[in-house]
Amino acid sequence: MKNITSIKILSITSAVALAVVFGIWDSQKSAVQASSHREAPLIANDPLADNTDLYAFRSPDDTNTVTILANYVPLQLPQGGPNYASFGENIRYEIHIKNDAATIGDDITYRFTFTKVNEDPTTFFNIRLGQQNLKTTYTAEKSLAGGPFSTIVSNGIVPPPNIGPRSITDATVGLGATDYEELMMAAITTANGTGGETIYCGPADDPFFVDLGGIFDLGQTRAEGTGVDAPIDGVACKNIHTIAIKVPISTLQKSGLNTSSATNILDGNFVIGVWASTSRQQIRTLNGNGTETHTGNWVQVSRIGMPLTNEAVIPIGDKDKWNSLTPYNEDINMDNYFCNPELALYMDDSQFGGAVPALTALRVQSASQTILGNVDFRNGQDGLQVLEGNAALIGTALDPAIFGTYLLRANCPRSVDLLPIFYTGVPNLAPYQLATGKTDGNPLSAGKPFINNFLPTFGDMLRLNMAVPVTPRNDPAFSSLGLIQAAVLGLTDPTYNSNSNIQWIPNMDGFPNGRRLEDDVTRIELQAVGGAVLAAVGLWYDDRNIGATPLTPDLLGVLGYTTGIEKNDTTFKSTFPYVQTPWEGYGMCGTSSQTGVGINEFGLSVGAPSIGMIQNYPNPFKDNTTIKYRLTTEAKINISVYDVSGRKITTLVNQQKQAGTHEINLSSENMSNGIYYVALSTGTEVLQTIRVSVSK
Amino acid sequence: MRNLTKKILTITSVLAIAIAFGIWDAQKSSVEASSHREAPLIANDPLADNTDLYAFRSPDDPSTVTILANYVPLQLPQGGPNYASFGENIRYEIHIENDGEAGDDITYRFTFMKTNQDPTTFFNIRLGQQNLKTTYIAEKSIDGGEFTTIVANGIVPPPNIGPRSITGGAGLNATDYNSLMAGAITSATEGGGETIYCGPADDPFFVDLGGIFDLGQTRAGGTGVDTPVDGVNHKNIHSIAIKVPISTLQKDGLAVTSAANILDAEFVIGVWASASRQATQTISETGGNPSNSGAWIQVSRLGMPLTNEAVIPIGDKDKWNALTPYTEDPAMEAYFCNPELGLYMDNSLFGAAVPGLEALRIQRNSLQSFDFGNTHDGLWPIRETNGGVGTALDTNAYGNYLLRQGQPRSVDLLPIFYTGVPNLAPYQLATGKNGNPLANGKPFINNFLPTFGDMLRLNMAVPITPRNDPAFSSLGLIQAAVLGLTDPAYNANADLQWIPNMDGFPNGRRLEDDVTRIELQAVGGVVLAAVGLWYDDYIAGSPNPVTTDLVSVLSYTTGIEANDTTFNSTFPYLQTPWEGYANRSKK
Repeated sequence: MKNITSIKILSITSAVALAVVFGIWDSQKSAVQASSHREAPLIANDPLADNTDLYAFRSPDDTNTVTILANYVPLQLPQGGPNYASFGENIRYEIHIKNDAATIGDDITYRFTFTKVNEDPTTFFNIRLGQQNLKTTYTAEKSLAGGPFSTIVSNGIVPPPNIGPRSITDATVGLGATDYEELMMAAITTANGTGGETIYCGPADDPFFVDLGGIFDLGQTRAEGTGVDAPIDGVACKNIHTIAIKVPISTLQKSGLNTSSATNILDGNFVIGVWASTSRQQIRTLNGNGTETHTGNWVQVSRIGMPLTNEAVIPIGDKDKWNSLTPYNEDINMDNYFCNPELALYMDDSQFGGAVPALTALRVQSASQTILGNVDFRNGQDGLQVLEGNAALIGTALDPAIFGTYLLRANCPRSVDLLPIFYTGVPNLAPYQLATGKTDGNPLSAGKPFINNFLPTFGDMLRLNMAVPVTPRNDPAFSSLGLIQAAVLGLTDPTYNSNSNIQWIPNMDGFPNGRRLEDDVTRIELQAVGGAVLAAVGLWYDDRNIGATPLTPDLLGVLGYTTGIEKNDTTFKSTFPYVQTPWEGYGMCGTSSQTGVGINEFGLSVGAPSIGMIQNYPNPFKDNTTIKYRLTTEAKINISVYDVSGRKITTLVNQQKQAGTHEINLSSENMSNGIYYVALSTGTEVLQTIRVSVSK
Repeated sequence: MRNLTKKILTITSVLAIAIAFGIWDAQKSSVEASSHREAPLIANDPLADNTDLYAFRSPDDPSTVTILANYVPLQLPQGGPNYASFGENIRYEIHIENDGEAGDDITYRFTFMKTNQDPTTFFNIRLGQQNLKTTYIAEKSIDGGEFTTIVANGIVPPPNIGPRSITGGAGLNATDYNSLMAGAITSATEGGGETIYCGPADDPFFVDLGGIFDLGQTRAGGTGVDTPVDGVNHKNIHSIAIKVPISTLQKDGLAVTSAANILDAEFVIGVWASASRQATQTISETGGNPSNSGAWIQVSRLGMPLTNEAVIPIGDKDKWNALTPYTEDPAMEAYFCNPELGLYMDNSLFGAAVPGLEALRIQRNSLQSFDFGNTHDGLWPIRETNGGVGTALDTNAYGNYLLRQGQPRSVDLLPIFYTGVPNLAPYQLATGKNGNPLANGKPFINNFLPTFGDMLRLNMAVPITPRNDPAFSSLGLIQAAVLGLTDPAYNANADLQWIPNMDGFPNGRRLEDDVTRIELQAVGGVVLAAVGLWYDDYIAGSPNPVTTDLVSVLSYTTGIEANDTTFNSTFPYLQTPWEGYANRSKK
């Protein structure tokens, strides 16, 4: 009873609320995006104003707040002296908050401006005898609903560059700090006014991680490579400058509510959209004596909402223009880059799929079987638009009578998934619910809720539903796959897949529902372009027949895909600002090995094991379940079943296996009802563990 | 007979120099070094940031000189999707001075254009097409005249992204990156005979940035966290490389075969490089290219390595970049005469505070007479009696440019950076001087070109030290001085004689020269010592000037003494740029 009632009510409430806003969709045309270092030609030449990454997540140690980090000045070498990188003067750095789709423009704007002074102009060193050159301070201002800006921090401190021990800790010749950490902590300040913001502006380790060298060599990811082909974190040992603000949820929420007022964990009233930008004055005049003057209107030169949009979605011909727009005035011609993404050309054997072998595991659905017919999501095809006029659309997010045709466009197959993920957020309505609970073969039926970050402003923002509970960072279920992992658990884990009730699933607070520092957005977005979200809502891969296990080799291929760089090259702090201390110029960095292939620790995970992954179906099961596992390289592996107390029940596999997809049956014959764990290991290292449930 | 030749040479030099030195009195005057992110403003404009300048006789083609001007510092090979390159709307220039009269005698100007061959992709190279594909025009002006085009549609090779982009069938399908680099080398038109390469390359510089800028903490021999690190290892730059016949560079069109001797003053050139932008830049509101208008304003320059990095203090760095060697600010001469680095090599000042430089202690009591500590008088006391009569310090002939009260390094660092050094006492090796630094000694340098501004000065007549010669040394002229003082093949008499590495920095600059070490040693007084102004622990009249202090200075090293890869044996000599796909350097 409870299940039916709550789901129904939710859906109806959502539908009514959404009908109003979706009405706008018809009058709009709309972009997929990702982390953005040197992403467009012009801004690559202006590093001080280059916005690299944006994060927004509920603070794990202070869950009544959301932390937003906007990072700038890419690829800083820690040793890049004598004039180490910092924020620039004469630049407006801004963080924009949208919390109400019915208002125009920003609901909250934070603006940061920086000033530098030389305390000792007679030296070429940055720090000497307690004095610092290019010493940077900042003013933070805040505007509500486009109103006048009021100062919330004056004379904020930006810590110096982490040059080395003589400059930072030596009391005779340097600053005499206890350690760099002390300087960083001392720079954290509390804003004036009633907003309750906590702010840090300063250098930090770049929390991003990506195989730049491989990916931009025509998509050559290389998770299993060795030697020259081993994956490399291209931003390892690099610093950025971050603007970090921790804001009470009640300050961000449109009516001043805290999450205790949320009606449920997907309450649509708790969705915010976040984006960041930089602007410069239009005219720069070189005065000929080593000084320059800035005049004229402020012009936006960089922006970021979703990661990687302007890096790997927008083609070079439009990148500079994209940086000049806002989420409130997107160029509708750019919608097509999301509806027919360039990356999908490389995940489609009828296009350039053969030319990018590294993405072989990712193939966009060309014939996803449904009871309504096969659906083709390859570029240039119609996707779900073929259902136009079909009664099955009624009452769903695709109902043209209510919502228009924004999501259903001929020859724009990804208007149904990538476009809303980047431009509107995704509502808690069919088809955007997990296949769990849906009529097999009908993705338009009601399923298990897993996301609601719907804020239909038709522009690129990072959208976060602040009502979704935090997955603790030390939770064994925490995963850098974010919402993809939540979907996998909701589809396959007996704790979450036994009914279609709204239920907290670990990592529902992960990208693209906001973005946590740990989220592997490169992998998630590549998987999403490869159709992973479509599969999660029941638009399975081509090799899945209705009625058969959805855990097909194609799906396992997509879930097992990894770039090989799955995490940052250092840890994160457990408290604000969470980003790690900047790398020191003097010191060494990391270890001699550069590879970042992650091995999942023992725990529930479909993370991206370096060698193999495992999944089963059905789950729960009565008599038999099929355990499928995929190996990327030939290896001696062991698959064993354990009970909840850790006692081994049986060993299913313990031998050398070829690369590829294998399966083996697990019978419940000698098992009583309950939860068991199936572990895939190499004998010495556990690669992955899944939870299975026997229900006779 | 050979000695007689030398006499004639000396007299000729004195006459020529007397005229030129006459200017010295009317001038007030700088030491400099490699220049990555060296000044606050230009650090924010990497495309226009001039990092290093080299000028040397081409080892495989000795009738030519190769000049390399490098730009766009600290490029990460993997820095895609928009890899670093030259910028549009920037004038990159190489300036040649060859007659001692201020103002360019030859100016080479390079301007770059970019096009997207396939604007529909975010990749830089795809299916044989390249985005941000860069071409250039090279122009040349003689004596400040009109510019004429010498290369009309020069090719800048693409970034070395990786095998799929460069050699792959979905990329450019090149044989290898080197074929692209070789294919971009071109010959200039209009008779100058220049060979030109503009494009990416390994940064040939090497320096422990992380150590040095942590308050001078060089750390040779350190281990663990204290191990020296080449801060520009595995980084690329963009180089403008030109190989020019010596007869094109020499003021009278002479080939080096016409040189009277290996230090013939007629073969000295001064070289500097710059980048300029138009005064007014207007940003497009719609993401279009910015529009540029107005006068061209110089925003970066480079002559001697490290001047604006470690000599000019931060308060004057931006201004320094706006000046030229013909319009130096006389107030900045103090930075050479009393260098900041000198403070850290003097126990009475901050010497104790910079233990990394402990081996370098400036002469405070040379020959028990002369104090070269900052603000002390150096050789000034000889002025009173014109003790330098007949030398470059003869105040009757040459004024007081080189002898200034309270400015001890006006006698060595200032001329090294601002005028070049003539082949006259005291600027001859102590060999043959019999203990008097002002006496004639063994010649070892003549790159004198007194325009009173920071340039890299090269005497093109000096023969090349082959790169595979066992005597080849990254210590350049310091090594030549050491050989001329101590090696029996060179120290037996005061004759003019070729000594290996006389073609090394600061007589021009070779790719291999360890300019950081050489300049630190020079600030530490090693040039003074070479000409007989020995270290404090030498007792005047003792037979052996090779004292503990001198050995200590000569063996000082930063621990980073060579580039992180090799050089090519042919033009442009620079190594292939590091590949983005393969780069796994940590810092």
